[in-house]
Amino acid sequence: MITRQTSLSKNIVHFCRFLRQKGFNVSAEEEILSLQALQFIDYTNNEVFHLALKASLCHTKSHLDEFDKLFHEYWKDLDKAVDAKTKEDQKNKTVFQQQASYKALSKWLHGDGNKETEETATCSIQESLLRKDFSTVPEDEVDELMQAIKSIAKKLAAKTNRRYEFSYKVDMPDLRKTLRKNLRRGGELLDIVHRRPKRNRIKLVLLCDVSRSMELYSAFLIQFMYAFQQVYRRMETFVFSTLLKRVTLLLKHKNFSEAMLQLSNENNGWSGGTRIGESLDTFVNEYGKKMIDSKTIVIILSDGWDTGNIDLIKNNMEFIHTKSKKLIWLNPLAGFEDYKPHVSAMKAALPFIDVFAPVHNVESLKKLGRWL
Amino acid sequence: MPPCLFLLIFDMPELKDIKRMLFEQGYITDDSVAMSVFLSLQLNKPLLIEGPAGVGKTEIAKVMANALQTDLIRLQCYEGLDATHALYEWNYQRQLLHLKMVEHNQQPVEEKEKTIFSDSFLMKRPLLQAITHHKKPVLLIDEIDRSDEEFESFLLEVLSDWQITVPEIGTIKATHIPQVILTSNRTRELSEALRRRCLYLYIDYPDFEKEWTIVKNKIPGIDTKLAEQITGFMQQLRIIKLEKTPGIAETLDWAAALSALHIDHLDKNIIEQTLGVVLKDWKDTRQVQLSLSELMEKTGVYPKL
Repeated sequence: MITRQTSLSKNIVHFCRFLRQKGFNVSAEEEILSLQALQFIDYTNNEVFHLALKASLCHTKSHLDEFDKLFHEYWKDLDKAVDAKTKEDQKNKTVFQQQASYKALSKWLHGDGNKETEETATCSIQESLLRKDFSTVPEDEVDELMQAIKSIAKKLAAKTNRRYEFSYKVDMPDLRKTLRKNLRRGGELLDIVHRRPKRNRIKLVLLCDVSRSMELYSAFLIQFMYAFQQVYRRMETFVFSTLLKRVTLLLKHKNFSEAMLQLSNENNGWSGGTRIGESLDTFVNEYGKKMIDSKTIVIILSDGWDTGNIDLIKNNMEFIHTKSKKLIWLNPLAGFEDYKPHVSAMKAALPFIDVFAPVHNVESLKKLGRWL
Repeated sequence: MPPCLFLLIFDMPELKDIKRMLFEQGYITDDSVAMSVFLSLQLNKPLLIEGPAGVGKTEIAKVMANALQTDLIRLQCYEGLDATHALYEWNYQRQLLHLKMVEHNQQPVEEKEKTIFSDSFLMKRPLLQAITHHKKPVLLIDEIDRSDEEFESFLLEVLSDWQITVPEIGTIKATHIPQVILTSNRTRELSEALRRRCLYLYIDYPDFEKEWTIVKNKIPGIDTKLAEQITGFMQQLRIIKLEKTPGIAETLDWAAALSALHIDHLDKNIIEQTLGVVLKDWKDTRQVQLSLSELMEKTGVYPKL
């Protein structure tokens, strides 16, 4: 790196820190890359300079979209300069004002990250302070429920596709691999390699409404999620009402009653009002892009009674719909005979739902297996 | 002397050369594309291109290979693609046949083994092919988002080490490090690690001016007014929410079709009859048919005369 100690490189380092504050994933590697890139271009040309930084610092579409605005915001001072010469001077000036130092960079590298702002979710007014007792699920119903859920989960897990994978079980010989392996021994068939149908690794994402309007069903729903978690490994579980909370790990390491207790102790908007749109938005922004792909089935359990933003529901439902393999909405109310999705949230969500099904008893759960 | 030969002599092309090269190869583009291609060549970094279908992502690799006068090696990704399909395979059948043929020779076994595990029995798949190529090729890894996550991490390894180990032969080191282009339709998010290794470029649907220039350039005989109308109509079409938004490829197909029919302006009948060239989904077709008049008004397609 030739330009290492010049003001320009310091300025770039500072710009990268600025980007980092705005949520960009810019590591020292990218900084080096952008500086290297500048060697090859005419960086006195603002346009070219902009494009080069853009090409070397962005890694995703969302970053690309934000970059122009941030770039102009940061280099605003430079744009004010009229001719190239003052531009150069001012460039230097800004550097000294901002005092971007390598010390600061290395400090950051060694873990002093407290300057970086971090947004935290705050509780809403609607959030209930009530503690909920989840142990009201009738004992005899629990067993029946578990059975149904387990058979559904098994069906899901056993779904196979046409590809094969290596297996230690003596079942189906794999001719090609067998020949290949035994060629090393001169062509005698000594070892036989086996194969089996490759498991279809469909992932599940569960989003459960646990708000007040779902109070009657919440215990039931948690049971549902819990059993799935035990049988099916690739699965993510979230609960929401006014806030969204990921409970995957909680359910993995705790048994049913412990998990219940902890959740109600934490009081994450448990049985408060519902804000489906905001919850979905949190899910999509924080987890959705990583978790949802074409092999993911997303299941939402909610009655659609909502006090939040309807547009958010629409947008996020559309996102999930296009990204996922299937979007299933389970609504306990849909079990009633005359039910029509009149609630505005439900109406907004409906166009993006692949399967809309009731989930009010074991029978309806069994039917759900068909859609998975 | 053609510009490409000129480049060979003077090694690395300049930014403006890239722009010219892309243009000469019939690729109409903007500065951000040229910059990314240029930097990826200069810094020898893979280039990750994302964007909707049909905007010319794959085309960039082809144009690049053409401009650099080198070969294009393509690895098409799909669900379930694994290392053997991407690297190499032994030609088992040929090995077996060969063994049968030399069965009664008095050659020692080691000798025979050496022959069947030699280059002529090795079927090179794209990745091995790319690193053993006689000159620096362009390696296109198409639709990487369709492959499994495991393959993605395997690819990371190859892209950083540039060597492949074949147990029977040993480690094969790259003779030339290929120029890599990865494309993705964003059907799944790629890993951060892969993004880190690449320069990133997003190509969106072109604006009116750009698309119009493309149509004019690719379909030389086309009527100016028709080209304008087609482009305008396509621009409007992309605003509607469709299941499958048509790309530039569709625009060009349509323009070529209409041009071949010697049509010099659009009208409702012609659009209805040829809509199948542009829309590939029956729901879309129906939706557009229903709102055709409105669409045409917006485009200003109604012949005023």
